[in-house]
Amino acid sequence: MPWWYWWGLATCWIGLGVSSDVADPWVTVAATVTFGAVHSAVSQRLLAGRQRTSDVKVRADVMGGRAPALVFGCLVGLVAVTIAAAFAASADGARHPATLASVLVAASILLGGPRLMAAIRTDAIRRAQAG
Amino acid sequence: MTDSARFDDLIHPATRLSIVALLAAADWADFAFVRDQLGLSDSALSKQLATLEEAGYIAIERPLSERRRRVHARLTPLGRARFAGHVAALRGIIASSTSEA
Repeated sequence: MPWWYWWGLATCWIGLGVSSDVADPWVTVAATVTFGAVHSAVSQRLLAGRQRTSDVKVRADVMGGRAPALVFGCLVGLVAVTIAAAFAASADGARHPATLASVLVAASILLGGPRLMAAIRTDAIRRAQAG
Repeated sequence: MTDSARFDDLIHPATRLSIVALLAAADWADFAFVRDQLGLSDSALSKQLATLEEAGYIAIERPLSERRRRVHARLTPLGRARFAGHVAALRGIIASSTSEA
């Protein structure tokens, strides 16, 4: 996964958090739907592990289907964490609870995303060696 | 060993084995990518690719759409089958040696 995927995801996450706090709800809904559509299109290509570069095109069976499932599962988990953190921040009297929660989750995306992919890569190599 | 396990003398030398193993994980790979990954010179890689191409194990393509002149190498179905057979044969040898120990 390229570095810009994780930075883009984290930036959009914060953007949606800020939007929830300061913008009209319809703007947030529209931004969320747009984010979902764009992310779906981009990640579908990237997570298959077959993004074409000028150097090499990796075979689909080398990647397997675990990476998309794992990353999708993590994203669903992060949505739940964002909502829970926003409610907790709101209960604590924070003025911008969604923004705070989204910054927290964005940081975990930047720190955990590359590590998740490293774990997936290690697992793929181990399975390939096991035949 | 399975029926498909077959030691392949053409693939076995370290350089060619590395090239074929790299190509086995890809649909295709650029000449410069293979060269840099394996730390080979242009002439050494060209020589090995020519041997593999002559045997029908790989195909060399020169995409016309690219701005820069590029050379792509890909494993043919024959090359992929021979590589799988060679890996199976090596596994068989290793398994028999470890079971004897």
